[in-house]
Amino acid sequence: MLQRFADAFAKENGVKVAVQVSTDVRRDFGAAAQTGSGPDVIVGAHDWLGEFVQNNAVSPLSLSGDLVAGFLPSAIAAATLNEQIYGVPYAVENIALVRNTALAPEAPETLAELVESGLALVKSGKATNALLVPVGKGGDSYFAYPFLSAFGGGFFGQKANGEYDPGKVIVNSDTSIKGAEVLAEIGKKKVLSTNVDGTNIDALFNAGKAPYYFTGPWAIETAKKAGIKYAISPLPSIEGGGRMLPFLGVQMFYVSANTKNKTLAEEFVINQMASTEVQEALFVVGNRPPALKEAYEKVAAGNADVKAWFEAGVGAKPIPNISAVRAVWGPVAQAEADVIAGKSSPRAAFDAAQKQVVEGIKKG
Amino acid sequence: MAAVPVAGVASYRLNPLPGKRRNFVIRGIATRAEAMSTGPDAARARLGTAARLVLIVAALAVVAVTAHRLIEGGNWLGVLIVGAVGMAVLVVYATRRLVPMKYLLPGLILLLGLQVWPVAYTAATAFTNYGYGHLLTKAEATEAIVANSVQEVPGAPRYAMSVAVKAGSDPITGEPHLLLTDPRDGRVFDGTGNGLLGLNPAGIQKSPTGKVLSAPGFTLLTAKEVNSRRDVQNLVVHTPQGGIKPIGLSHAFEGKASMTHDPATDVITDGSTGKRYVARDGSFIPEDGRGEGLPQGWRVSVGFDNFAAIITDPVIRTGFLSVFAWNIGYALLGVASAFFLGMLLALLFNDPRLKGKAVYRSLMILPYALPGFVTALVWASMFNQDYGLINQVTQVSIDWFGDPWAARAALLIANLWLGFPYMFIVCTGALQSIPGEVYEAARVDGVSRLQMLAKVTLPLVLVSVGPLLVASFAFTFNNFGLIFLMTGGGPFAAGNTSIGATDLLITYAYRLAFSGASPDYGLASAVSILIFLLVALLSLAGFRRSAKLEEFN
Repeated sequence: MLQRFADAFAKENGVKVAVQVSTDVRRDFGAAAQTGSGPDVIVGAHDWLGEFVQNNAVSPLSLSGDLVAGFLPSAIAAATLNEQIYGVPYAVENIALVRNTALAPEAPETLAELVESGLALVKSGKATNALLVPVGKGGDSYFAYPFLSAFGGGFFGQKANGEYDPGKVIVNSDTSIKGAEVLAEIGKKKVLSTNVDGTNIDALFNAGKAPYYFTGPWAIETAKKAGIKYAISPLPSIEGGGRMLPFLGVQMFYVSANTKNKTLAEEFVINQMASTEVQEALFVVGNRPPALKEAYEKVAAGNADVKAWFEAGVGAKPIPNISAVRAVWGPVAQAEADVIAGKSSPRAAFDAAQKQVVEGIKKG
Repeated sequence: MAAVPVAGVASYRLNPLPGKRRNFVIRGIATRAEAMSTGPDAARARLGTAARLVLIVAALAVVAVTAHRLIEGGNWLGVLIVGAVGMAVLVVYATRRLVPMKYLLPGLILLLGLQVWPVAYTAATAFTNYGYGHLLTKAEATEAIVANSVQEVPGAPRYAMSVAVKAGSDPITGEPHLLLTDPRDGRVFDGTGNGLLGLNPAGIQKSPTGKVLSAPGFTLLTAKEVNSRRDVQNLVVHTPQGGIKPIGLSHAFEGKASMTHDPATDVITDGSTGKRYVARDGSFIPEDGRGEGLPQGWRVSVGFDNFAAIITDPVIRTGFLSVFAWNIGYALLGVASAFFLGMLLALLFNDPRLKGKAVYRSLMILPYALPGFVTALVWASMFNQDYGLINQVTQVSIDWFGDPWAARAALLIANLWLGFPYMFIVCTGALQSIPGEVYEAARVDGVSRLQMLAKVTLPLVLVSVGPLLVASFAFTFNNFGLIFLMTGGGPFAAGNTSIGATDLLITYAYRLAFSGASPDYGLASAVSILIFLLVALLSLAGFRRSAKLEEFN
């Protein structure tokens, strides 16, 4: 799909553009940029930005105010680091509550309702799992985050300019601990389990034996193939807190700092990839809501799923793009797994995680 | 290379001299190609010479292309190395001397390139801070910091831009002019390195977006021409507020770098906040010590700091011994169990009375033939406490990956599955190479079957398999893949993500180096050098033992 637009662009400017697919763009690009032989433009997730900037692999793009205004503010925030915009976003992605409508016809408003109805289904033998969230023995911070965010907790506090502040780690803040307590509580009820992880979770949902599933657009294809009737709704809210807000992931086009074709690379990314036509077309490939508002409106009008995914992400904050976030994933995940398995109290687990995160960031 | 044996064979047939003199003659004739200038053999020799020349030229062409690329990239060490390789190829293969080298050179080049160079590079890296945030040179880092701080001047217009040269000058080398249209009033400016000048609107044609399409006295550049000119991309038209820079093909913006670097004091100042950053240990850090440093840093030598960090870090110190103990235990038990099972099966399937051996033996090798990482992932899912095959079949509820000892057992089981076919193959080979007379002699002496196994078969098998066991030990000792895919080093004690119960030194080193905010290749290199020394020492001890075994024989 991208090749089509690349070819059109190439023809217009009398050059050749090759679209290359890599299995590990993040690492390959870092290595290729070092030798000065990498691609001119790369497509990737926004949370690679921190390390790309550290290693001077990407250049800031001075986007005009008009262009910026056309994008979702959260997508622009995701592409911004140290007050510079480093890429043109084209899609946003977040998790939502996917339910098997054969088991759960109505979307629950609160987590308590969800747990109650899910456990009732398990008790009656209609379901094996009340709720599917990937945890695994090592935990999963990305999926643990919405529990923390429901109470205003999370990974990092924010700077005055709205960017994440690596100096303010809030992993063991009172707000985050409230979320951890919820994890402990539903872990005790066997609603969450460290035996459910990325390797078996799709199979569990697609067997039709689980009413609720926290997941993203990537899981839908196989569910459709398995013949599951599903519906997508925002994550529930938690009593005593607010709505569970997932992390927002943004896909974007970066321009390499080492490109030998800076002019054309910028032209391609800013003037071609930011067009409504291209963003609409890219939706067809990835099935993720476009980051350009106009393109989203057009796509959402004819696609209920994309509208549902998008609405589940309204108000969500982007995954931190600062490089310090690397130090967070491991410790928070471990704390989550320990709390769910009942190996550790929420306070103790998240205090330990906070300590490790701060040390990791200090180590640089 | 192929030419040498051909010439040798040819000369041998021409001079059927017996004994030691043959060698001499081969060499003598081979260095005098003119001695065989007639007949079909001579034609073959000429063909050989031609083929050799073609191969040498091809090799040199590859060298030349590689060198050219390296020169473009400014990698002078690489150029030097490639040049040396080219010289070696020329010297060894273009002359008729240095015959042994003709066979050794390819292997030597590969040895140097694939073994010695990585080891030397790792050792050199261990004494630096090389890692994310320290991949650049200081000049690159400083330039990046300043360039990445350019902000659009508030309220400045976005100019529509065309790039041109003065009419008559060359589009590739002529001084570039940015023809800028102010979108607010349509005025057109001529921007160059010297600044901004107003242009007479007479005769200028513009597109609907304001981009200049033609202007008297100027030749507009094509997209391709603009793209090929680095000087255009780096052009800054200085203005009182900052500078106008091109972005893409048809726009320009007025920006100003908020960071400035003072080369005299080596201090970077953030103009918007007044904060000063000083260069220290490969980074610009705040002079007042408060807040973050600047993201881009550079590579510096840190001496023995990485090694000191390994020795002094309390987490590392406490973790190292337990990891080391499990690592040794895992490697020993892993090799011993695989050898035991492989040997047992090899003995069973070596029995002459057994029918259909070929089928059984092929089946035995299957686990070895499957990709190891697939097997590891399958085993990982089979060990799942709730949904795994193992607990379901055995009707137990062992938390395989949650309990340290269960996780270790699970790894040893998977390791056994992956490892025994290899042992089976080598033991079968060793068994079949034991001469029948040995057994016959033992039988004549009235040895029982058990004694035969313990006193004859096993020692003889161990003589040939011993060194392989040592090699297996070294491999198992560093079997990163299996641990990483099955347990990831876990389970972890609550509140400690740095030391897992099933961590090997290598997985531990990996986490140590890459778990912080930035991957630290320098530290990782230091740890891997220590592991290298440990494995080398252990293997040395192992080889000594297996050498002793040979003496028994």
